[in-house]
Formats: sequence, structure tokens, C-alpha cells
Amino acid sequence: MTSSLLPVALGNYIALSAVLFFMGVVGVIVRRNPLVMLMSIELMFNAANLLFMAFARAWMNNAGHIFAFLVITVAAAEAAIGLAIVVAVFRTAKHVDVDDVAMLKG
Amino acid sequence: MGVDGSYPYIVALWLLPLLGALVLWAFGPQMRRVAGWFGSGVVGLSFVLTVLSWSAGTQNAGGAVGAHQALGSWFAGFHFGLLLDPLSLLWALIITGVGCLIHVYSIGYMDGDGAFARFFAYMNFFVFAMLTLVLSDNFIGLLVGWGLVGLASYFLIGFWFFKPTAVAAARKAFVINVVGDVGIMLAIFLIVANVHSIGFGDAFAAAGSFSSTTLFAICLCLFIGAAAKSAQIPLHTWLPDAMEGPTPVSALIHAATMVTAGVYLIARCAPLWSHNSDAQLLVGTIGGLTAIVGAILGCAQWDIKRILAYSTMSQIGYMIMGVGVGAYEGGVAHFFTHAFFKAQLFLGAGLIIHALANEQDVRRMGGLVKKLPFAFVAMLTGVLAICGIPPFSGFFSKDQVIYGTLQHGHPWLYAVGIVTAGITAYYMCRLLFVTFLGEYRGDVDPSDLGIRHPELAGTPDVHDAHASHGHAPAWIMNVPVAILIVPTVFAGWLMFGGDNSPWARFFAAEFAPSSLPAPAISEGLTAIVALLVVLLGAAVAYVRYGTAAARAGAVARLRDESVRMPALLRNAFYFDAALDLIFVRASQALGTFFSRYVDPHAIDGAVHETAISAGWLGTLTRSFQTGLVRAYAFIIVLGAACFIAYYALVGGTH
Repeated sequence: MTSSLLPVALGNYIALSAVLFFMGVVGVIVRRNPLVMLMSIELMFNAANLLFMAFARAWMNNAGHIFAFLVITVAAAEAAIGLAIVVAVFRTAKHVDVDDVAMLKG
Repeated sequence: MGVDGSYPYIVALWLLPLLGALVLWAFGPQMRRVAGWFGSGVVGLSFVLTVLSWSAGTQNAGGAVGAHQALGSWFAGFHFGLLLDPLSLLWALIITGVGCLIHVYSIGYMDGDGAFARFFAYMNFFVFAMLTLVLSDNFIGLLVGWGLVGLASYFLIGFWFFKPTAVAAARKAFVINVVGDVGIMLAIFLIVANVHSIGFGDAFAAAGSFSSTTLFAICLCLFIGAAAKSAQIPLHTWLPDAMEGPTPVSALIHAATMVTAGVYLIARCAPLWSHNSDAQLLVGTIGGLTAIVGAILGCAQWDIKRILAYSTMSQIGYMIMGVGVGAYEGGVAHFFTHAFFKAQLFLGAGLIIHALANEQDVRRMGGLVKKLPFAFVAMLTGVLAICGIPPFSGFFSKDQVIYGTLQHGHPWLYAVGIVTAGITAYYMCRLLFVTFLGEYRGDVDPSDLGIRHPELAGTPDVHDAHASHGHAPAWIMNVPVAILIVPTVFAGWLMFGGDNSPWARFFAAEFAPSSLPAPAISEGLTAIVALLVVLLGAAVAYVRYGTAAARAGAVARLRDESVRMPALLRNAFYFDAALDLIFVRASQALGTFFSRYVDPHAIDGAVHETAISAGWLGTLTRSFQTGLVRAYAFIIVLGAACFIAYYALVGGTH
């Protein structure tokens, strides 16, 4: 594995990405504010993007770049839908707490 | 079988009655009175064409007897066609000839009935179905005709469908006839499995190559069909009930033609029976048993039509006995004469019933010789013919059957035949004396005559008022009866003269002349013995009902006899009860068993268990659906963690 194109060692990128990802995971699980949850999800997406880019540079393979763009697109769409849901919930419930939105409970 | 060729007359005589039935069905109500003449005319034309086909039907070219008209093929071995040989020619002549007379008679008898045209549509349909049965050159066509005559019989027994008894009788006749249809169907399966053809000729040519077990099975299945259609024990119980239909129907279908289809079947399949003596013994025995049982039961009836019905059953027993033991000519001869004299007896009974406003109980008749002299003449010739008094027709044919059983080595059946002849004479003379001699008993209180339920005894009045209440029958009903008297008296002479008689020569090519050793008792002696027994039977009837003393005390005597009638005879030897117990009750018990145990526990149980498990599974999986987004997120993370842990600990595939 050549690492000449990477200014710092690959392991550092992976570690940073893991940290970012787990920050996102914890954010989704512990926070009840949907806006914060959406932001945490973005954090996870970008952790994945960082890995894609790092490995693309490390292995000299452009597929990683392409996947990063794909992830950005999906993230934008997801954010749009997520915000729309938040707005819709806010209109009916006048406050937004994901634990209260449990009408489909079995 | 039969000389191949194009015979437009045969096709026409076959299809004309169908055309008549269709026209009457479609336009009958508009035709009104013309419907009767139209229906009769169609059958009459068919009769004329049958007579014109005579020479074609009796031709004999190199062993191929009769005329064969191909109609089409289905696939290899399944060829359909019409066959007119002496046997089917004889039947076709009776069906269309006697059928035409009965059609004309019905114009008078059914006059004023609300469904006049429908009656003639059914009658024409019956003639077509019966012609299909006898003209077919293969087993499938025969079965089609067999089923269709059963259907026509069902229509006509239940013609007065507002009478619950008529509907029940029609249903009973249909169900029992279907039992016979299934028998024939099984026989066809066996034949096709063995010879790969449905044609009579192919099956008969192979008759010698069947194993005796197979041949016996085929004959047995065919005989189940014959027994159901021809009212042989134990499938005879529908015939007395079938008298619920109009009297012309009883004359045409339940006496002259349809019920003799079994005789036709066995005579047609003579090559099969001739190769299997077990089947011959079985059929001959059942025939003899039916003859004597029918005759005994005929002595215990009070309804004029039921007396004639049991007598029909008994006479068909004779025919079946004859064709069963191998005396085909004799059995067929008895069919021929019986068709005339029994049709005449029924039509004569119809004259009485019509004149007495649908009274059918002989106890309420009496003294009719003064009131209805023509009906007396008709009944008298019929009775003399059926008793076998020379020179009336029944003497010759019955003699042939009885002597035939001895010739073919069945002395017991010979004895049964002789004894039955005596009983026949007794109950027919009883009918004659009770009905026509003495004083008219229609005004006597029914309970004095031992009639327990007078409202159930006769047929409810279904005619217009003008057509009943002692009116003399119109000429239109008398003329067919008068014409029938001629063959009733003289038809038997055709059979006189042994192997040189016109009858024997007519059938010489069909049934090979029998070269059997002469039995110890000659034919002449048989005739004398039978005649003595017949006279004895008639004498007993005369002493009981005919003498001046008996006529004077008729009311008391009839009451005594009705009240003291043994239960065994009153219930017709319990055949109905036995069939009810064996088949109806047994299937009811089976049904109860299934509805009580199998259905709720096995069938419904399986369905219920499926529903309960689906509900239980739903309850289980529903508990995962908390509705908490964060819980879902946690489960996803947990799943992802497990996934990663798996690859971290176990490793990937490369």
C-alpha cells in the first residue's frame, strides 16, 4: 500500500472518521430534538464520506470520489424529507419531540 | 355390422322427432290445439320412413346385416353412426308406430290441460331419445340415448309438477335410472380398455377373446343398467311410482318402449352373453324372480295403473329371462306382443280413468261394462293377450320364452315361467272382473270398501270440467285403441311355425338358429300345460270375483280383502324399506358422521388453527413496533454492530 499521496497516515483518517460516526450515532440515540437528530445523521454521512475520500487517495481509485458525491446527494434528499416531516409534525403537535410521535405503535 | 352406405331415410326418421320437439318447445303455446296433431304427425311421418327403410334394414350382404350410416368420428376407434338391422328395426317400428297411436290418443286425453303443447314436446323428445338408443351403432351413442330417455321419463312422470307425489316419483325414477347409467358407463370403460373401440361390431368380434372374469364384469355392469331401466329386482321400485304421470305416458314409456330398453340391450349384446354362461344364469334368474315377484305384487294392488305397472314389471321379467338364458328370439318376441297389448291395456285404463274423473281405485269402479262397453272390449282383448289365451298374441310369445328356458337348460326358470303365467291370469282377470262386473261402486262410502285414505287414492282432478265426469271418451281416444286391438289379437301369428315362421326368418341373420337338443317336454306340451295353469288362475279369479254370489257381496268382500291384506304384500315385500335402509339411511348416517366429527374437527379445525396461529404471530411481532424513533435507531446500530463484529471476529470471505 503506497501512502505517498496522503499527507498524514491512513490510520488517522480512519480514527477521525470513527469518532465522527460515533458522535453521530450517540446524537441520534440520545437526543429527542429531530433537528439535532438530522444533524447527527449528517455527521454520520460525512464520517463515511471522509473514509471514502481517504481510501480513494490511498488506493488511487476514483470510485471513492464518485461514492462521496452519491452520499452527498442522498444526504440532501434525506435532509429535505426529514425537514418536511419535522414541519408536518410541528403543524399538528405544536412541539417537536420524537418520542411523542408514536402514533404507529403496534 | 351393417352394409355401409348413405341412408337419408334413417337419418330423417331419427331426427324428425327432435325437430318436432324443438318446434313444440319454441312455438307450442301459439300452436294451441294444433300442437297435438303436429306432434303426432311428426312421429307418424317417422313411422312411415321406418317402414320405407324396411328393406334396407333387413338386407344381408355377406354376413353384414342391415344398414349402417356413418355419422362421424371422434378419434381412432370412436366412430359414430346409425345401425338399422332387424333388431333395431323392430324397436324403431314399435317406438314410432305405437308412439304415433299414443300421441293421437293423448290429443283426447290431455285435452284441456294447461300445458298441452309442453306434453307433446316431451313426448316427441322421448321418441327421439329412444330412437337414438336403438339406432346407435356404438356404446356411447347407446348411453346417450339411455340417459336421454331417462330424462324424458323424468319430465313426463313429473309432468303434473304441482302434485308432490308426482315430483317425488319423478325424482326416484331419475335417481334409480342414473344408477343404471353408471353401470353402463363402467361397462363401456371395460370394453374400451380391452378393445380400444366403442363400436358394437368390434366389441362383439372380440367377445371370445375376453377372459371370463372380464366378460362377466362387462355383462354384470351392462345388466345393472338394464335392470334399472327395465325395473328388475332390486331396482324395480320406481316403476309403480312412475304411474303418477299421465296415463299415455305410462302406456308409451313405462310399458311399451323405454322399460324394454334393457331387453334391447341384452339382445343387442347377445354375443357377449352367449360367451358367458355365468352371466346368462344371473340374468335369467333375476328375470324369473322379477316375473314372479311382480305377478304376486300385482295381486295385491287396488290402483288400476299400479296393477298394470306390476304386470309390466312381471312381463319384462319374462323378456329378461328369455334373452338372459339365450332365447333371444323369444324374449324379443314377447317385447313385440307386450308393446301392443300392454299399451292397449294402459290406454283402456286411460279410457276408464278419463270417464270416471280420474278415479284409479278399482274398488270404486265395478259394473262398467254397461257404462263403457268399448273400454271393456279393449281391456278384455288385452287381458286375453297377456294371459296367453290362444289365439291372442301373448300366447305365442310367452310360450316361446317359457319353452326357450327349458331348451337352454334351465328347468327351474321353466317352472317359474309356468307358475307366473297362472298368477298373471289370476290378477288380470281380477282386474277385469272387479272393474267391469257387478254394480257401480263409485257412490259407496270409501270406508265401506276398506279405502283408508280416499283423498290419497286417486289423482286429483287436473282436467277441465267438461272433459270428465262420466263423459264417453271422444272418438280420438277410441280410434288408436281400436287400431291397437288388431296387433293385440293377431301379432302372435307371426311367431307360429317354428323355424319357418316369419318371425324366425326375420331374425335368422341376427340370431343364429339354435341347434339345441330337444328337451324332454315338447313345445306343444308346454303350451298345453301353460294353458291349463292359466285357466286355473282365471278360474280362481272368477270364483272370487266373477260369480253371481261374489258380485252381489262385492262391497263386503273388497273391504275384507283390503283390511286383511298381509303387511308383506301391502308393503311390496319391503323392497322400498330395504333400499331405504341400505342406501338412504346408510348415506345419511355417513353424512351425520362427517358433519358431526370430521367436518368440525378436521376441516374447520384446520382453518381455525391457521387463523389462531396467524393472530398469535401478529401479537408477537407487534410488540417490536414501539413507535419510538430512537429505539429503532438503536436497533439499527445494534444490528450494524453485530454485523461488524461478525466480520471482525470471523473474518471476510477473501
